[in-house]
Amino acid sequence: MSVATTTQTAATAAPARTADWPFLCGAVIATALLAALVLLDGQPYSAGLILLGFALGVAFLKAEFSFTASWRRFLVSGEAGGLIGVLLLIAIASIVIVPVAASVRGFGGAIAPIGPSLLIGAFVFGIGMQLANGCGSGTLYTAGGGSGRMLIALACFIVGTVIGSLHLPAFLALGGIDPILAADYFGVWGGLAVTLASIALVGAAVIAVARRRDANFLPRRSILIGAVAIGVLTIGVFLAGGHPWSVTFGFTVWGGKLASLAGIDLASHEFWQWPGPKRALTESVLTDTSSLTDLGMILGAMAAAAASRPFARTSWPPARSLAAAAIGGLLMGWGARLGFGCNIGAFVGGVASGSLHGWIWFAAALAGCMLGIRLRPWFGLSRE
Amino acid sequence: MRVVYVIVFIVGIGAAIADHLASPSSGRAVSPEDFAGACAPCGAPCPSAKK
Repeated sequence: MSVATTTQTAATAAPARTADWPFLCGAVIATALLAALVLLDGQPYSAGLILLGFALGVAFLKAEFSFTASWRRFLVSGEAGGLIGVLLLIAIASIVIVPVAASVRGFGGAIAPIGPSLLIGAFVFGIGMQLANGCGSGTLYTAGGGSGRMLIALACFIVGTVIGSLHLPAFLALGGIDPILAADYFGVWGGLAVTLASIALVGAAVIAVARRRDANFLPRRSILIGAVAIGVLTIGVFLAGGHPWSVTFGFTVWGGKLASLAGIDLASHEFWQWPGPKRALTESVLTDTSSLTDLGMILGAMAAAAASRPFARTSWPPARSLAAAAIGGLLMGWGARLGFGCNIGAFVGGVASGSLHGWIWFAAALAGCMLGIRLRPWFGLSRE
Repeated sequence: MRVVYVIVFIVGIGAAIADHLASPSSGRAVSPEDFAGACAPCGAPCPSAKK
Protein backbone atom coordinates (compact mmCIF):
# COMPACT_ATOMS: atom_id res chain seq x y z
CA MET A 1 0.00 0.00 0.00
CA SER A 2 1.50 3.35 -0.97
CA VAL A 3 1.38 6.39 1.25
CA ALA A 4 -1.12 7.88 -1.16
CA THR A 5 -3.46 4.96 -0.52
CA THR A 6 -2.75 5.01 3.19
CA THR A 7 -3.52 8.70 3.31
CA GLN A 8 -6.76 8.26 1.43
CA THR A 9 -7.86 5.37 3.64
CA ALA A 10 -7.02 7.25 6.81
CA ALA A 11 -8.74 10.38 5.53
CA THR A 12 -11.91 8.42 4.83
CA ALA A 13 -11.87 6.81 8.25
CA ALA A 14 -11.05 10.01 10.11
CA PRO A 15 -12.64 13.12 8.64
CA ALA A 16 -11.13 15.39 11.29
CA ARG A 17 -7.57 16.40 10.34
CA THR A 18 -6.09 16.18 13.81
CA ALA A 19 -2.42 15.86 14.62
CA ASP A 20 -1.20 12.65 16.21
CA TRP A 21 0.81 14.39 18.90
CA PRO A 22 2.75 11.42 20.39
CA PHE A 23 4.21 10.46 17.00
CA LEU A 24 4.67 14.08 15.88
CA CYS A 25 6.51 14.99 19.07
CA GLY A 26 8.46 11.73 19.01
CA ALA A 27 9.71 12.38 15.48
CA VAL A 28 10.67 15.99 16.20
CA ILE A 29 12.38 15.14 19.51
CA ALA A 30 14.30 12.23 17.94
CA THR A 31 15.47 14.50 15.10
CA ALA A 32 16.59 17.15 17.59
CA LEU A 33 18.36 14.50 19.68
CA LEU A 34 20.30 13.08 16.72
CA ALA A 35 21.21 16.59 15.53
CA ALA A 36 22.35 17.52 19.04
CA LEU A 37 24.56 14.42 19.26
CA VAL A 38 26.46 15.28 16.09
CA LEU A 39 26.65 18.95 17.05
CA LEU A 40 28.24 17.89 20.36
CA ASP A 41 30.91 16.22 18.20
CA GLY A 42 31.42 19.56 16.44
CA GLN A 43 29.82 18.43 13.15
CA PRO A 44 27.39 21.10 11.91
CA TYR A 45 27.32 19.60 8.39
CA SER A 46 26.14 16.29 9.84
CA ALA A 47 23.33 18.08 11.66
CA GLY A 48 22.55 19.79 8.36
CA LEU A 49 22.26 16.41 6.63
CA ILE A 50 19.81 15.16 9.28
CA LEU A 51 17.67 18.28 8.85
CA LEU A 52 17.84 18.11 5.05
CA GLY A 53 16.76 14.47 5.27
CA PHE A 54 13.89 15.54 7.51
CA ALA A 55 12.83 18.15 4.93
CA LEU A 56 13.08 15.55 2.15
CA GLY A 57 10.79 13.22 4.11
CA VAL A 58 8.23 16.03 4.46
CA ALA A 59 8.53 17.00 0.78
CA PHE A 60 8.19 13.45 -0.54
CA LEU A 61 5.20 12.69 1.68
CA LYS A 62 3.36 15.93 1.05
CA ALA A 63 3.93 15.82 -2.73
CA GLU A 64 3.32 12.04 -2.81
CA PHE A 65 6.37 12.00 -5.07
CA SER A 66 6.83 8.45 -6.32
CA PHE A 67 9.39 7.07 -8.73
CA THR A 68 7.77 3.63 -8.67
CA ALA A 69 4.21 4.72 -9.50
CA SER A 70 5.33 7.24 -12.14
CA TRP A 71 7.46 4.64 -13.93
CA ARG A 72 4.62 2.12 -13.75
CA ARG A 73 2.07 4.60 -15.13
CA PHE A 74 4.42 5.42 -17.98
CA LEU A 75 5.02 1.77 -18.86
CA VAL A 76 1.38 0.68 -18.50
CA SER A 77 -0.53 3.60 -20.00
CA GLY A 78 2.03 6.08 -21.32
CA GLU A 79 1.07 8.64 -18.63
CA ALA A 80 4.30 10.62 -18.25
CA GLY A 81 3.58 13.48 -15.83
CA GLY A 82 5.40 11.81 -12.92
CA LEU A 83 8.40 10.86 -15.03
CA ILE A 84 8.69 14.41 -16.37
CA GLY A 85 8.64 15.59 -12.74
CA VAL A 86 11.56 13.26 -11.97
CA LEU A 87 13.53 14.60 -14.95
CA LEU A 88 12.85 18.17 -13.79
CA LEU A 89 14.20 17.27 -10.33
CA ILE A 90 17.39 15.86 -11.88
CA ALA A 91 17.84 18.88 -14.15
CA ILE A 92 17.60 21.26 -11.18
CA ALA A 93 20.14 19.24 -9.18
CA SER A 94 22.55 18.95 -12.11
CA ILE A 95 22.83 22.74 -12.48
CA VAL A 96 24.87 22.81 -9.26
CA ILE A 97 26.25 19.27 -9.01
CA VAL A 98 27.98 19.03 -12.40
CA PRO A 99 30.02 22.25 -12.18
CA VAL A 100 30.79 22.07 -8.45
CA ALA A 101 31.78 18.38 -8.54
CA ALA A 102 34.06 19.02 -11.49
CA SER A 103 35.76 22.16 -10.27
CA VAL A 104 35.59 22.56 -6.48
CA ARG A 105 38.01 20.68 -4.27
CA GLY A 106 36.31 18.48 -1.69
CA PHE A 107 33.26 17.77 -3.85
CA GLY A 108 32.65 14.83 -6.15
CA GLY A 109 29.89 13.43 -8.34
CA ALA A 110 28.11 10.09 -8.14
CA ILE A 111 30.13 7.83 -10.40
CA ALA A 112 30.18 4.08 -10.96
CA PRO A 113 31.81 1.49 -13.20
CA ILE A 114 29.82 0.37 -16.25
CA GLY A 115 29.53 -3.37 -16.68
CA PRO A 116 27.49 -6.51 -15.96
CA SER A 117 27.16 -5.70 -12.27
CA LEU A 118 25.46 -2.36 -13.03
CA LEU A 119 23.09 -3.88 -15.60
CA ILE A 120 22.10 -6.92 -13.53
CA GLY A 121 21.77 -4.93 -10.31
CA ALA A 122 19.59 -2.21 -11.85
CA PHE A 123 17.38 -4.78 -13.63
CA VAL A 124 16.79 -6.73 -10.41
CA PHE A 125 16.18 -3.48 -8.54
CA GLY A 126 13.50 -2.58 -11.08
CA ILE A 127 11.66 -5.86 -10.46
CA GLY A 128 11.88 -5.30 -6.71
CA MET A 129 10.60 -1.73 -6.77
CA GLN A 130 7.39 -2.77 -8.52
CA LEU A 131 6.78 -5.67 -6.13
CA ALA A 132 7.53 -3.60 -3.03
CA ASN A 133 5.70 -0.59 -4.49
CA GLY A 134 8.48 1.79 -3.57
CA CYS A 135 12.15 2.42 -4.36
CA GLY A 136 14.89 3.49 -1.92
CA SER A 137 13.50 6.92 -1.12
CA GLY A 138 9.94 5.64 -1.49
CA THR A 139 10.55 2.89 1.05
CA LEU A 140 11.99 5.43 3.49
CA TYR A 141 9.16 7.93 3.32
CA THR A 142 6.31 5.44 3.18
CA ALA A 143 7.74 3.39 6.05
CA GLY A 144 8.28 6.63 7.97
CA GLY A 145 4.82 7.80 6.95
CA GLY A 146 3.00 4.95 8.66
CA SER A 147 2.82 2.09 6.15
CA GLY A 148 3.50 -1.15 8.03
CA ARG A 149 3.81 -2.93 4.68
CA MET A 150 6.77 -0.73 3.79
CA LEU A 151 8.31 -1.31 7.20
CA ILE A 152 8.62 -4.95 6.13
CA ALA A 153 10.00 -3.88 2.74
CA LEU A 154 12.61 -1.74 4.54
CA ALA A 155 13.70 -4.61 6.81
CA CYS A 156 14.10 -6.93 3.81
CA PHE A 157 15.81 -4.15 1.80
CA ILE A 158 18.44 -3.96 4.56
CA VAL A 159 18.95 -7.76 4.52
CA GLY A 160 19.19 -7.67 0.71
CA THR A 161 21.90 -5.00 0.70
CA VAL A 162 24.06 -7.03 3.08
CA ILE A 163 23.69 -10.14 0.89
CA GLY A 164 24.48 -7.96 -2.13
CA SER A 165 27.60 -6.62 -0.43
CA LEU A 166 28.92 -10.18 -0.19
CA HIS A 167 28.23 -10.85 -3.90
CA LEU A 168 29.36 -7.52 -5.40
CA PRO A 169 33.10 -8.30 -5.72
CA ALA A 170 32.34 -11.47 -7.73
CA PHE A 171 30.09 -9.52 -10.10
CA LEU A 172 32.70 -6.77 -10.48
CA ALA A 173 35.17 -9.48 -11.49
CA LEU A 174 32.99 -10.13 -14.57
CA GLY A 175 34.49 -6.96 -16.04
CA GLY A 176 33.52 -3.42 -16.89
CA ILE A 177 34.89 -0.02 -17.72
CA ASP A 178 35.71 2.99 -15.57
CA PRO A 179 33.06 5.69 -15.02
CA ILE A 180 32.36 8.05 -17.93
CA LEU A 181 31.73 11.65 -16.85
CA ALA A 182 30.52 14.34 -19.25
CA ALA A 183 32.70 16.98 -17.58
CA ASP A 184 35.84 14.89 -18.26
CA TYR A 185 35.16 15.01 -21.99
CA PHE A 186 33.49 18.40 -22.48
CA GLY A 187 34.81 20.50 -19.58
CA VAL A 188 32.81 21.92 -16.70
CA TRP A 189 30.21 23.96 -18.60
CA GLY A 190 30.23 21.72 -21.66
CA GLY A 191 29.58 18.79 -19.32
CA LEU A 192 26.63 20.62 -17.79
CA ALA A 193 25.27 21.45 -21.27
CA VAL A 194 25.57 17.81 -22.36
CA THR A 195 23.91 16.64 -19.13
CA LEU A 196 20.98 19.05 -19.53
CA ALA A 197 20.70 18.14 -23.22
CA SER A 198 20.56 14.44 -22.36
CA ILE A 199 17.78 15.10 -19.83
CA ALA A 200 15.88 17.18 -22.42
CA LEU A 201 16.33 14.44 -25.02
CA VAL A 202 14.95 11.76 -22.72
CA GLY A 203 12.14 14.14 -21.71
CA ALA A 204 11.25 14.68 -25.37
CA ALA A 205 11.24 10.92 -26.00
CA VAL A 206 9.01 10.36 -22.96
CA ILE A 207 6.57 13.05 -24.16
CA ALA A 208 6.56 11.55 -27.66
CA VAL A 209 5.62 8.14 -26.22
CA ALA A 210 2.88 9.73 -24.10
CA ARG A 211 1.42 11.61 -27.08
CA ARG A 212 1.51 8.51 -29.25
CA ARG A 213 -0.42 6.62 -26.59
CA ASP A 214 -2.80 9.56 -26.16
CA ALA A 215 -1.77 9.95 -22.53
CA ASN A 216 -1.08 12.96 -20.33
CA PHE A 217 2.51 14.17 -20.01
CA LEU A 218 2.01 17.30 -17.89
CA PRO A 219 2.96 16.86 -14.22
CA ARG A 220 0.23 17.79 -11.78
CA ARG A 221 0.85 20.79 -9.53
CA SER A 222 1.93 18.80 -6.44
CA ILE A 223 4.49 16.87 -8.52
CA LEU A 224 5.92 20.11 -9.95
CA ILE A 225 6.23 21.67 -6.50
CA GLY A 226 7.68 18.43 -5.14
CA ALA A 227 10.22 18.17 -7.97
CA VAL A 228 11.44 21.73 -7.38
CA ALA A 229 11.57 21.29 -3.58
CA ILE A 230 13.32 17.90 -3.76
CA GLY A 231 15.70 19.21 -6.44
CA VAL A 232 16.73 22.12 -4.22
CA LEU A 233 17.08 19.83 -1.19
CA THR A 234 19.19 17.43 -3.28
CA ILE A 235 21.53 20.35 -3.96
CA GLY A 236 21.57 21.07 -0.21
CA VAL A 237 22.55 17.46 0.58
CA PHE A 238 25.30 17.66 -2.04
CA LEU A 239 26.72 20.88 -0.60
CA ALA A 240 26.55 19.61 3.01
CA GLY A 241 27.89 16.12 2.31
CA GLY A 242 30.32 16.74 -0.54
CA HIS A 243 28.65 14.07 -2.72
CA PRO A 244 25.22 13.62 -4.30
CA TRP A 245 22.49 12.26 -2.06
CA SER A 246 22.51 8.48 -1.68
CA VAL A 247 20.21 6.18 0.26
CA THR A 248 21.11 2.52 0.10
CA PHE A 249 24.66 2.49 1.47
CA GLY A 250 23.12 3.54 4.77
CA PHE A 251 20.95 0.39 4.69
CA THR A 252 24.08 -1.70 4.08
CA VAL A 253 25.79 -0.10 7.07
CA TRP A 254 22.76 -0.71 9.33
CA GLY A 255 22.54 -4.33 8.19
CA GLY A 256 26.28 -4.81 8.53
CA LYS A 257 26.26 -3.50 12.08
CA LEU A 258 23.28 -5.71 13.02
CA ALA A 259 24.95 -8.74 11.44
CA SER A 260 28.16 -8.04 13.35
CA LEU A 261 26.12 -7.69 16.54
CA ALA A 262 24.64 -11.12 15.82
CA GLY A 263 28.15 -12.56 15.59
CA ILE A 264 28.37 -12.77 11.78
CA ASP A 265 31.90 -12.00 10.61
CA LEU A 266 31.57 -9.57 7.73
CA ALA A 267 34.98 -7.96 8.14
CA SER A 268 36.68 -10.86 6.36
CA HIS A 269 34.64 -10.34 3.17
CA GLU A 270 36.17 -8.29 0.35
CA PHE A 271 33.46 -5.60 0.26
CA TRP A 272 33.94 -4.84 3.94
CA GLN A 273 37.71 -4.55 3.48
CA TRP A 274 37.37 -1.62 1.07
CA PRO A 275 38.26 1.58 2.99
CA GLY A 276 34.78 3.16 2.92
CA PRO A 277 32.70 0.18 4.07
CA LYS A 278 35.42 -0.86 6.55
CA ARG A 279 35.31 2.54 8.22
CA ALA A 280 31.52 2.64 8.18
CA LEU A 281 31.29 -0.73 9.92
CA THR A 282 33.51 0.32 12.80
CA GLU A 283 32.65 4.00 13.24
CA SER A 284 29.45 5.59 14.51
CA VAL A 285 26.42 5.28 12.24
CA LEU A 286 26.11 9.07 12.55
CA THR A 287 29.38 9.54 10.63
CA ASP A 288 27.94 7.99 7.46
CA THR A 289 26.34 10.62 5.23
CA SER A 290 23.62 8.37 3.79
CA SER A 291 22.60 7.13 7.26
CA LEU A 292 22.17 10.74 8.41
CA THR A 293 19.81 11.66 5.57
CA ASP A 294 18.02 8.29 5.77
CA LEU A 295 17.25 8.71 9.48
CA GLY A 296 16.19 12.32 8.90
CA MET A 297 13.92 11.29 6.03
CA ILE A 298 12.12 8.61 8.05
CA LEU A 299 11.56 11.04 10.91
CA GLY A 300 10.48 13.87 8.55
CA ALA A 301 7.90 11.65 6.87
CA MET A 302 6.68 10.49 10.29
CA ALA A 303 6.31 14.07 11.49
CA ALA A 304 4.52 15.15 8.30
CA ALA A 305 2.13 12.20 8.42
CA ALA A 306 1.43 12.55 12.15
CA ALA A 307 0.89 16.31 11.79
CA SER A 308 -2.20 15.85 9.65
CA ARG A 309 -3.87 12.58 10.64
CA PRO A 310 -3.86 9.71 13.14
CA PHE A 311 -0.60 7.85 12.55
CA ALA A 312 -0.41 4.17 11.49
CA ARG A 313 -4.09 3.50 12.21
CA THR A 314 -4.67 1.38 9.09
CA SER A 315 -4.86 -2.39 9.27
CA TRP A 316 -2.23 -4.73 7.87
CA PRO A 317 -2.66 -5.63 4.19
CA PRO A 318 -3.21 -9.25 3.03
CA ALA A 319 -0.38 -11.76 3.44
CA ARG A 320 0.26 -11.90 -0.32
CA SER A 321 0.84 -8.15 -0.39
CA LEU A 322 3.23 -8.45 2.57
CA ALA A 323 5.08 -11.23 0.74
CA ALA A 324 5.47 -8.93 -2.29
CA ALA A 325 6.87 -6.24 0.00
CA ALA A 326 9.35 -8.69 1.51
CA ILE A 327 10.49 -10.16 -1.81
CA GLY A 328 10.59 -6.71 -3.41
CA GLY A 329 12.68 -5.38 -0.53
CA LEU A 330 15.16 -8.24 -0.81
CA LEU A 331 15.48 -7.80 -4.59
CA MET A 332 15.91 -4.03 -4.27
CA GLY A 333 18.58 -4.45 -1.60
CA TRP A 334 20.56 -7.00 -3.59
CA GLY A 335 20.09 -5.03 -6.81
CA ALA A 336 21.06 -1.73 -5.20
CA ARG A 337 24.41 -3.11 -4.06
CA LEU A 338 25.23 -4.64 -7.45
CA GLY A 339 23.84 -1.66 -9.35
CA PHE A 340 25.62 0.97 -7.22
CA GLY A 341 22.52 2.48 -5.69
CA CYS A 342 18.82 3.11 -6.19
CA ASN A 343 16.76 5.75 -8.01
CA ILE A 344 18.46 8.36 -5.85
CA GLY A 345 22.12 7.32 -5.65
CA ALA A 346 22.42 5.79 -9.11
CA PHE A 347 19.77 7.49 -11.27
CA VAL A 348 19.26 10.97 -9.80
CA GLY A 349 22.82 11.27 -8.44
CA GLY A 350 24.43 9.67 -11.50
CA VAL A 351 22.61 11.67 -14.15
CA ALA A 352 22.83 14.91 -12.13
CA SER A 353 26.60 14.34 -11.96
CA GLY A 354 26.82 13.89 -15.73
CA SER A 355 27.80 10.22 -15.30
CA LEU A 356 26.75 7.84 -18.07
CA HIS A 357 26.04 5.06 -15.58
CA GLY A 358 22.95 6.99 -14.40
CA TRP A 359 21.23 6.60 -17.78
CA ILE A 360 22.31 2.97 -18.13
CA TRP A 361 20.91 2.28 -14.64
CA PHE A 362 17.64 3.96 -15.67
CA ALA A 363 17.28 1.85 -18.82
CA ALA A 364 18.06 -1.42 -17.03
CA ALA A 365 15.79 -0.61 -14.08
CA LEU A 366 12.96 0.36 -16.43
CA ALA A 367 13.30 -3.04 -18.11
CA GLY A 368 13.19 -4.68 -14.67
CA CYS A 369 10.05 -2.68 -13.88
CA MET A 370 8.34 -4.17 -16.95
CA LEU A 371 8.89 -7.65 -15.53
CA GLY A 372 7.98 -6.51 -12.02
CA ILE A 373 4.67 -5.09 -13.26
CA ARG A 374 3.85 -8.46 -14.88
CA LEU A 375 4.55 -10.19 -11.55
CA ARG A 376 2.39 -7.86 -9.45
CA PRO A 377 -0.93 -9.70 -10.02
CA TRP A 378 0.63 -12.88 -8.52
CA PHE A 379 0.63 -11.01 -5.22
CA GLY A 380 -2.80 -9.47 -5.58
CA LEU A 381 -1.40 -6.11 -6.67
CA SER A 382 -2.82 -4.09 -9.54
CA ARG A 383 -0.79 -3.54 -12.70
CA GLU A 384 -1.96 0.06 -12.78
CA MET B 1 0.19 -1.39 13.67
CA ARG B 2 0.74 1.52 16.06
CA VAL B 3 2.28 -0.81 18.64
CA VAL B 4 4.70 -2.15 16.03
CA TYR B 5 5.63 1.41 15.10
CA VAL B 6 6.22 2.40 18.72
CA ILE B 7 8.53 -0.59 19.21
CA VAL B 8 10.41 -0.06 15.92
CA PHE B 9 10.74 3.67 16.62
CA ILE B 10 12.14 3.22 20.13
CA VAL B 11 14.44 0.34 19.20
CA GLY B 12 15.64 2.06 16.01
CA ILE B 13 16.43 5.45 17.51
CA GLY B 14 17.82 3.78 20.64
CA ALA B 15 20.12 1.61 18.52
CA ALA B 16 21.37 4.62 16.51
CA ILE B 17 22.13 6.56 19.69
CA ALA B 18 23.75 3.56 21.41
CA ASP B 19 25.89 2.87 18.33
CA HIS B 20 26.97 6.51 18.21
CA LEU B 21 27.92 6.58 21.88
CA ALA B 22 29.72 3.23 21.76
CA SER B 23 31.63 3.71 18.48
CA PRO B 24 34.48 6.00 17.51
CA SER B 25 33.65 8.99 15.33
CA SER B 26 36.67 10.55 13.68
CA GLY B 27 35.51 13.91 12.41
CA ARG B 28 33.18 14.92 9.59
CA ALA B 29 30.64 12.45 8.21
CA VAL B 30 31.90 10.82 5.04
CA SER B 31 30.74 8.71 2.14
CA PRO B 32 32.78 5.71 0.88
CA GLU B 33 33.44 7.83 -2.24
CA ASP B 34 35.67 10.07 -0.15
CA PHE B 35 38.35 7.38 0.06
CA ALA B 36 41.17 7.07 -2.44
CA GLY B 37 40.49 4.56 -5.20
CA ALA B 38 36.71 4.55 -4.70
CA CYS B 39 34.81 4.36 -7.97
CA ALA B 40 31.21 4.12 -6.74
CA PRO B 41 28.98 5.37 -3.91
CA CYS B 42 29.66 2.11 -2.02
CA GLY B 43 33.44 2.48 -2.33
CA ALA B 44 33.99 -0.20 -4.98
CA PRO B 45 37.31 0.16 -6.81
CA CYS B 46 37.55 1.11 -10.50
CA PRO B 47 37.88 -1.75 -13.00
CA SER B 48 41.17 -0.20 -14.23
CA ALA B 49 42.60 -0.38 -10.72
CA LYS B 50 41.96 -4.11 -10.51
CA LYS B 51 43.85 -4.97 -13.70
